[in-house]
Amino acid sequence: MSSDSPGLVGADVVSVPAVELRGIAKRFGSVVACDRVDLSLHRGRIHGILGENGAGKSTLMNILIGLVLPDGGSVCIDGKPQLIHDPITAARLGIGMVHQHFSLVDALTVWENVALGESGRLDPSEVRNRIGEIGDHFGIVVEPDVRVGDLSAGLRQRVEIVKCLRHDPNIVIFDEPTSVLTPDESAQLFQSLREVVTAEGRAVVLISHKLDEVLAATDDITVMRQGRVVERLNTKLASAPALARAMVGREVSLRAERAALGVLSVGDTHDHVAHSTGELPALELRHVSASTGRSSVALDDVSLSVFPGEILGLAGVEGNGQRPLADLLSSLVPATSGEVVVAGEVVVAGRPGAMTRAGVAVIPEDRHDSGIVLDMTVAENLALVDLAQVSRNGIVDIRQLERRALDLIDEFGVQCEGPHAPMWSLSGGNQQRVVLARELSLDPAVLVAARPTRGLDVGAIDYLNDRLRAAAAGGVAVLLISSELEEILDLADRIAVIYRGHVVGDFPRSDVDVQQLGLLMGGATP
Amino acid sequence: MKARAGEWIALYTISVLVALVLSGVLVEVSGGDWWPVLEALVDGSVRGPQRWGQTLGIAAPMLLVGLGTIVSSRAGLVNIGQEGQLLFGTAVAVYFGFRIGGPGPLNVLVLLAFGALGGAVWAGIAGVLRTHRGVPEVLTTLLMVTVAGQVVAYGLKKQSLLLAPAASRGNRNQVSEQLAADNRLPVLRVFGNEIPSATFLAVILAILVAFAMGRTVWGVRLHMLGRNPRIARRVGVSEQKYGLAALLVGGAFAGLAGAVMLTGGGFQFSNYRLVPGFSAGIGWTGLLVALVAREKVLAAVGAAFVFAALRNGSGFVNSTGVESRITEVVQGFLVLALLIPPAVMFLRDRRRSRAASAAGV
Repeated sequence: MSSDSPGLVGADVVSVPAVELRGIAKRFGSVVACDRVDLSLHRGRIHGILGENGAGKSTLMNILIGLVLPDGGSVCIDGKPQLIHDPITAARLGIGMVHQHFSLVDALTVWENVALGESGRLDPSEVRNRIGEIGDHFGIVVEPDVRVGDLSAGLRQRVEIVKCLRHDPNIVIFDEPTSVLTPDESAQLFQSLREVVTAEGRAVVLISHKLDEVLAATDDITVMRQGRVVERLNTKLASAPALARAMVGREVSLRAERAALGVLSVGDTHDHVAHSTGELPALELRHVSASTGRSSVALDDVSLSVFPGEILGLAGVEGNGQRPLADLLSSLVPATSGEVVVAGEVVVAGRPGAMTRAGVAVIPEDRHDSGIVLDMTVAENLALVDLAQVSRNGIVDIRQLERRALDLIDEFGVQCEGPHAPMWSLSGGNQQRVVLARELSLDPAVLVAARPTRGLDVGAIDYLNDRLRAAAAGGVAVLLISSELEEILDLADRIAVIYRGHVVGDFPRSDVDVQQLGLLMGGATP
Repeated sequence: MKARAGEWIALYTISVLVALVLSGVLVEVSGGDWWPVLEALVDGSVRGPQRWGQTLGIAAPMLLVGLGTIVSSRAGLVNIGQEGQLLFGTAVAVYFGFRIGGPGPLNVLVLLAFGALGGAVWAGIAGVLRTHRGVPEVLTTLLMVTVAGQVVAYGLKKQSLLLAPAASRGNRNQVSEQLAADNRLPVLRVFGNEIPSATFLAVILAILVAFAMGRTVWGVRLHMLGRNPRIARRVGVSEQKYGLAALLVGGAFAGLAGAVMLTGGGFQFSNYRLVPGFSAGIGWTGLLVALVAREKVLAAVGAAFVFAALRNGSGFVNSTGVESRITEVVQGFLVLALLIPPAVMFLRDRRRSRAASAAGV
């Protein structure tokens, strides 16, 4: 906790720091995002910055790449003081960043996205070759001629990384790069990062809230909390519980927190009650095939059942048919064959509103895609799915709308200026709470949760997981679609795996062998 | 929020001032003096005898077109064929109005209803192509304007369709019969001005549209469809139903605007007859009204009045020696001036919300 000591300089580092931040301060209104932060980055080393959402990590990095101007403090690059007032300056200084939120154009192909923003003559074959080279070099392979809109989140992340590395930056910032990657993909990414860093002398920043990956992949660690640096140390000297304590500011005990931080090993014992058999499934897919233009992998002859009161975890690497499955259960695409049965009734998939009417609630993978309307108010977003509850004879009862919104805001702890605040003014975690509040308030028979904790901070994940468990305990059939094994193992009562559009395996939680699950996710037959 | 209101007012003031100064410069460059031209505009639109009544009469169909456009764009659909829908709607009104020919005041209602129906049919063609075949409505609605012009011109050549009998058309060709005096919308006389009742109709409909968009389930669902079609579909808003309905309503308002010009427009608009070119650009201007109003009904009322004043005032500008069509350029400047502040605020908001989300707050 020695914030006045100079940045950690390992014995093996004698060079001038590649980046030296001194006393960086930034406020947004009443929120102090950075409070006199010092940070040194060295060539040939990976520097982990740990902190919960809102700790100031991203602001600090946005200052470094010129997206945000600091209120005070100085930036030195290779020992020379620099004023970085825009991203172009940062790029000229050799600083590149892979953002947590994608900045890709869906309608363009991978190589077009990579070349986007370049000036001068465009040479498509050169760009394609470069993508191939980067793929070989870093082990992040992407097909250059695929439309980005057809890629899964995991693959889009790769495109972002390739886009950044194409400029051959000296200083690379990764903002939560693994939030959409599988454990294997993450390990692979970090391994290639390590090689590149040591071989080519780049300085790398890894922003994360996952302890295990920071411990595994970095040389130095800086922990931030509420805009301040609370700890900096050499990774060799760090331990997971101590880091967790520094990050959260108290002892970490909750299971979900530990799972979220990666402190928990996925083999931990589990105490869910096995689901009782013999009753009717709330959701049943019978030999269903479906495809969506947004994913190249289609659902192929999928059968699965989810019973009231249980959580079925559907594990799988991103882009193996999770998208069409979620779209199917959101009435967005029809089934090309087979049938979907909800509470004993066959539902016509693809007919607008059919699934909702049948009692299927959905927390979509991308809330901006089919979860919320950013231009509407919080109250409207909370009422979207069931406007009948807040209207009479087709006329919206404003007071009823407001009252219902206030109740839900209160119950689900949504932080906003009030029911009439525009949805876009909320942070991601609070937007997700709005989705959760609305979907659970419908009293659904089935709840489909696709990557529900994506991009949420520890507190929010904990809360969401509790809510999912409570929903299941209350008799809702929960289908949890996720690529994060920790999440699946922590929550699910039964586990199935989706691979290339097929659902393989179906195990009670207690019988699951992590090894076997990993193999199935990679395509081995059970 | 107060600071933001200040920013809005400052931005609008600056950009409208710039537009006015540019207009003044243009007048000077084209050989006139800005002050007399401005005086002529004001005289011609509101100050001269009977002028503000006329301005209100011109504003009514502009506002009606704008209201329909607001409904379509609320659902995320870009209808830009109001000019054609207006013309076709009027033709349908004329065809059925003269054939049904009920007692006077009742026949006015028949004319208005058939005008709306005709406009809806014309927009509906584009609507069905959009919702059932995926043809972009931007293209179809625009192209149908030309088609409407040809269809109506053809109808005005056939006595079996729209052409007036030889006896009542004098030496003119391609002209419909004139509406009888009791088939016209009544006019209210206030302080020596004649205010067409169409203006009141337009304002009442504006209130209804504002209510429908903001306070009804239908309006919320249209909004949802416009802003996020995927969630709309999930919760049961069918694009085929709601999208088509939005275009039908948009066309109906344009057709109604045409019927209002026919039954209540007087000598401002072809003197109670249908002629080729009857629509007279009101469809286009109504589109601009909706464009600058940006889905806000109250703003559309104001914009319609301003554009109508420019149009009405332009008649007086000729007397100053300056080409009266200069008002169209002024109108163009004003449209830009009214569109730039929202764009600026949008960019600023986006930058701010990015900064805020970067801070995790």
